[in-house]
Amino acid sequence: MADAALHGHGSEHGGHDHRGFFTRWFMSTNHKDIGILYLFTSALVGFIAVAMTIYMRMELMQPGVQYMCTEGARALASSAECTPNGHLWNVVITAHGVLMMFFVVIPALFGGFGNYFMPLQIGAPDMAFPRMNNLSYWLFVAGTSLAVASLFVPGGEGQNGAGVGWVLYPPLSTLEQGMSMDLAIFAIHLSGASSILGAINMITTMLNMRAPGMTMHKVPLFAWSIFITAWLILLALPVLAGAITMLLTDRNFGTTFFDPAGGGDPILYQHILWFFGHPEVYIIVLPGFGIISHVIATFSRKPVFGYLPMVYAMVAIGVLGFVVWAHHMYTVGMSLTQQSYFMLATMVIAVPTGIKVFSWIATMWGGSVEFKTPMLWAFGFLFLFTVGGVTGIVLSQAAIDRAYHDTYYVIAHFHYVMSLGAVYTIFAGIYYWIGKMSGRQYPEWAGKLHFWTMFIGSNLTFFPQHFLGRQGMPRRYIDYPEAFAYWNYVSSIGAFISFASFLFFIGVIFYTLRYGKRVTENNYWNEHADTLEWTLPSPPPEHTFETLPKQSDWDHSRAH
Amino acid sequence: MPYEWLPITNDAAPRAVPVTVRAWPHQSLPPAGFVGFMAATAVFIALPLVFLLGSPVFWGLLPFIVLAVVALWLAIQRNRRDGQLLETLTISPSDMTLERRNPHQATQHWQANPYWVSVQIHARKGPVPDYLTLRGAGREVEFGAFLTPAERVTLCEELQIHLAALARAPHPL
Repeated sequence: MADAALHGHGSEHGGHDHRGFFTRWFMSTNHKDIGILYLFTSALVGFIAVAMTIYMRMELMQPGVQYMCTEGARALASSAECTPNGHLWNVVITAHGVLMMFFVVIPALFGGFGNYFMPLQIGAPDMAFPRMNNLSYWLFVAGTSLAVASLFVPGGEGQNGAGVGWVLYPPLSTLEQGMSMDLAIFAIHLSGASSILGAINMITTMLNMRAPGMTMHKVPLFAWSIFITAWLILLALPVLAGAITMLLTDRNFGTTFFDPAGGGDPILYQHILWFFGHPEVYIIVLPGFGIISHVIATFSRKPVFGYLPMVYAMVAIGVLGFVVWAHHMYTVGMSLTQQSYFMLATMVIAVPTGIKVFSWIATMWGGSVEFKTPMLWAFGFLFLFTVGGVTGIVLSQAAIDRAYHDTYYVIAHFHYVMSLGAVYTIFAGIYYWIGKMSGRQYPEWAGKLHFWTMFIGSNLTFFPQHFLGRQGMPRRYIDYPEAFAYWNYVSSIGAFISFASFLFFIGVIFYTLRYGKRVTENNYWNEHADTLEWTLPSPPPEHTFETLPKQSDWDHSRAH
Repeated sequence: MPYEWLPITNDAAPRAVPVTVRAWPHQSLPPAGFVGFMAATAVFIALPLVFLLGSPVFWGLLPFIVLAVVALWLAIQRNRRDGQLLETLTISPSDMTLERRNPHQATQHWQANPYWVSVQIHARKGPVPDYLTLRGAGREVEFGAFLTPAERVTLCEELQIHLAALARAPHPL
């Protein structure tokens, strides 16, 4: 029989942390520590990927090629001769896409906030498989390392790096020389393995480790969003893994899955890629939906409007996300019937998305709205995601897509959804929870300054790209004619403002963690921040909810 | 509530027949939920395969999809198994036994005479708040450490009442 373990544990139950630095951060199996590791790593990779965009916008600021020269990449413009280096451009856009899609946004929202707050919100002591959680994180780090390493090993055109675009379409990706492409494929493999293991962990935790009494219809919206995201990852990532494995064998072992010369079909790769790729958009943004629901409820001092419709809208978005993939490829030669179906199915997604947007607005309606920094980011998200959604409806029309396909209109659309949408939710989450995670609070003025500079900068960057798209400027080009110069100049100015804002944000985080005002309350916002993490000290102790929470701790008889 | 008295009765008086208290950790996924979730996952994940029937690409995707479903199945089952700990306390007028079936270790036993058994709750001295222990036959063992504090307090009171009634009963000890 288990002998009683008396004497002395009770007072230590607050969880004093006696682990050394190496043990804590390199061998951690604690969901909170792993969440923080995900956030910091994705921020570092995000910095690299954003720096690439600045280099791209420097190049596009003026017509002609000034920086990406075959004679050598330049940091400063000079009058010396410059032969355009298209491969370098292609490598940079590919790396930006791959890093942002696989190694920044998902790890931050799903890996970072998901790991830290999902178990807390459902009252679980940790993830179901803590060591597998550790494995997921380090696979992600290994994948990131391979992705970055792929930039510096021999690739196409006798130069370093793979320049095939993040979608890795064959035949370009199968014919690209060098090992860079293979490293990039392995990087995505590792990222996929990491995400699938993480998803299985999250699903198991959410299904079987909820606090007593917490039925699925009482789970907080952020935890729901992580659960649905995990499910989408589980359904979509194996498809991508299979597709890129076939690319790998086409490249190296003489198979012809996607080579018409051997009976293969390159268009089939596009179908498979987008069968993963479109749900990927929702994988990226759904956790953000969860965060925004909590932020808006907290700073409107009202329970979120329509809890169940909010939940099932997320489920519907997830399910519909799997049946609309070919709207990314209207121009490949599909039949009219196919195009009609994908057009209609795509537009249907506006219904659950509309339910969410209107529910957020209804939450604010009549509320005591307080414009703290997280709420500003939530407002920014709401407005800009809606703009991106509306241009999405425009692009869903197969006929209109003929004109906009592969133009800057598409760039503007998906950056409004993901760069201004999903990334704003990351910032909202950071400002909402940083006091909880670190025990120190950011200076309010600094958070607001960060928001406004980013809001102005990112809109200045991407809104003019709608105009460029309508003018007919194609994406993925290093240069453009004089006719596109004006809005490209404006867009670049916006990118520089955004980058300055991002640097300021790094400073704010550094200041907060070192010198920020100490948080003394468990719940430093208000009673409408009513999920379980707000019942814990800030920062929470190493071990939480070893004793299951009482229903009265989280069930406030209203939607969360 | 993850503990139960057997046989179920409203009669608080002790009886000559043994009564049993079974306690197990809370798991939020019922078996029907597991079946439903796995079925939905299998259907949705198989969707791309339907479109690829007859193509060699089908065979390229199949292993990854099967692997994902199997991994999910094994993970949930492993988690359920890890939580399948069962503590059974059997109380008869002359004997009190506690059996703990661990998911990955040998079953543990404790036995004592109920007349001498002391049931105690330790508000702060245990590894969890309101730690419930049984002391008897020279050992002190824990019971229901995985229950919520409120459940342990209630269970402690019920056990104390039952044992007190048993001690007052006229049958021989």
